[in-house]
Amino acid sequence: MNKIKVSVLLAILLVAFLLDVALGSVDIPLKEVIKALFTSGSGNDTWIYIIEQIRLPKALTAIIVGCGLSVSGLQMQTLFRNPLAGPSVLGITAGASLGVALVMLSAGSITSLYTIKELGISGSWLIITASSLGAALIMILIVSISSSLKDNVIVLIVGVMIGNITLSLISIWQYFSSPELIKDYLLWTFGSLGGVTGGQLTILAVVVAAGLLISFLSSKLLDALLLGDNYARSMGLTVKRARILIIGSTSILAGGITAFCGPIGFIGIAVPHLARALFNTSNHRVLIPACCLIGTVLMLICDIVAQLPGSQTVLPINVITALVGSPVVIWIIAGPTKLRGF
Amino acid sequence: MMKKINYPSFSRIFPCLIVSLLLITSCKQNHSGQKHTSAKTGSAEIKYAKGFNIDYYDHYKLVSIYSGMGAKPDTVQYVLLAKGVKAPEGYKKAQLIEIPVKSLVAMSSMHIALADFVGAADAITGLGSLKYVSSETVRKNIAAGKVKEVGIDGTMNDEVLISMKPGLVMVMGSPDAKFSKYETLSGAGVPVMLNSEWLETTPLGRAEWVKLMAALMDREKFVNTKFDALEKEYKRLAAIGAKAVNKPSLICGMPYKGTWYVPDGDSYMVQFLKDAGTTYNWANIHGKGSLPLSFEAVAPVALKADFWLNVGTVDSKNDIKAIDSRYAEFKPFKDNHIFNFNKKVNDIGSNDYWESGAVNPQLVLGDLIRIFHPELLPDHQLVYYKQLN
Repeated sequence: MNKIKVSVLLAILLVAFLLDVALGSVDIPLKEVIKALFTSGSGNDTWIYIIEQIRLPKALTAIIVGCGLSVSGLQMQTLFRNPLAGPSVLGITAGASLGVALVMLSAGSITSLYTIKELGISGSWLIITASSLGAALIMILIVSISSSLKDNVIVLIVGVMIGNITLSLISIWQYFSSPELIKDYLLWTFGSLGGVTGGQLTILAVVVAAGLLISFLSSKLLDALLLGDNYARSMGLTVKRARILIIGSTSILAGGITAFCGPIGFIGIAVPHLARALFNTSNHRVLIPACCLIGTVLMLICDIVAQLPGSQTVLPINVITALVGSPVVIWIIAGPTKLRGF
Repeated sequence: MMKKINYPSFSRIFPCLIVSLLLITSCKQNHSGQKHTSAKTGSAEIKYAKGFNIDYYDHYKLVSIYSGMGAKPDTVQYVLLAKGVKAPEGYKKAQLIEIPVKSLVAMSSMHIALADFVGAADAITGLGSLKYVSSETVRKNIAAGKVKEVGIDGTMNDEVLISMKPGLVMVMGSPDAKFSKYETLSGAGVPVMLNSEWLETTPLGRAEWVKLMAALMDREKFVNTKFDALEKEYKRLAAIGAKAVNKPSLICGMPYKGTWYVPDGDSYMVQFLKDAGTTYNWANIHGKGSLPLSFEAVAPVALKADFWLNVGTVDSKNDIKAIDSRYAEFKPFKDNHIFNFNKKVNDIGSNDYWESGAVNPQLVLGDLIRIFHPELLPDHQLVYYKQLN
């Protein structure tokens, strides 16, 4: 049964990927798209540039983001045993944003300029480090507070509040920054899959792969945590260590993706629920790959919608994920109360 | 492991909270131009600007500023009076301004340029931010502690402003700037003037806002002479640009995260490009601001363009490549035809292009013609622009 579901999902993924590369502002015949994808450069230079340099990196970014955000959301929901948890709800994305704001809005101060020049790759490592550190900082804060709290709803409130504090800090920073830098930062917050190319794409892929690897390796821990801390302890699990591992991988995933694509919302919350509903299981060894598949399909579809095929403009990806993700969240709250795995 | 969850009702509000955080507003202006009548006396005749008008009467001047969007522009009137003159009847809604204005709060670089142009830079006592100033006079006054910082537009510190008792606060009129935003100030007797010069469709129209400043400072004669000279020079240069046989194509600006903002066809920037004898791909798009396009929509033009202009805060081709290696494929990048308007950036990082450049369109046009057609203006030295290598 699962095999059929996986095959169908893979087929949808393939079609969505092809459509994402085939559709855009510029009309390119499908034959040319396939030729550009599978043969080496010949034909219309502009078309080849658009497919190879613009659409393909964007589609690959969508895949990476879809996997990373869905899995980090799944881990958060398991860790907090809260169906509404996710990197963006608990302020982790805000933490990553704070890291990025520190780097972006202080561009011009000697320290950051020096580091950017020293590091090369136009400061990609700097931004990703700052972003991951910001995300980790907020995560550690929330987990340490949550360890003394039993009620998940309160933990959620605490997370949202910490997120608000973080956003306030960013606002103060923005207030004292130059208009150009503010504009850059603001556009960054709209989220985008189109700004990641070449070296950056490689970095993002490596980082997300590392985060996913840790997740896969800790699927047993996640299964145990789902049954409660005491149960996990009785199975001989060091809960603290497990938590740190999960926090680490979530921060790397959310932090890395936020650094390059901006804070992309909803995918992290919505996809784990879709995965649980579709595969009817709470086993993380199934759920993690399932989240990757569904997240990828969803991100590709969102990207196709965001680029409004045939029009000259492109909508911020955040608008689209919210449009797709919100109904799912509503369904969680107001829909059937039988939620898998909680 | 399955458990039924009962959510407390207040947890329902979180998604709403989050959704509301993500609401993105976009604005697209649709400013309808007003027909204005010429001034009754020869004091200041408005030839190009569409955003304001001045009528002269025996004891006062009446300034009308057209701002707002849609079919019904928001017209705000100001009665300009000398000290001790009784206010005229019939202008209930108009704000009174005592002229010449002794103390002016300026919210944008352009406003500093206006004051500087009419020789009244010393009247500036407050600025939105002290970090963006090119005018030597104003910088000297800042160093001497004579200029206060009042907070950037939209988050101005009303208390500081009211306690300063300035003769006028000049704010940036955005397409959706409603005058009501400044009622606290005008209610406290501080006149606030919206200035939407950037909505002008021609460089000369934008520069002509100096005549509004002239009316505020009682310097019409002096400013008219100055403006007539720059107008003559601009027209001379535009005639040279019109004679250009080949019209090179170009792209403007720098994409960011997949979105490329290009100037709309009706913007003053595009008028510059037309007067400089160029081919601009989006000249027929109606609108006065900028157009958000996808990178992909601009790429076919960028790959084959002759020139690339106004690339923002970068200083070299390497900087551009570091932002995104894909830009190295553009023809202007390969041909070394990238020009940026940051030649006159001072030690505090303020770019004079946005300040004095706004009231010296003849210098900007001279730069552009020198860039696109070096043979037509061989002796012109670039003022605001420089080539990136």
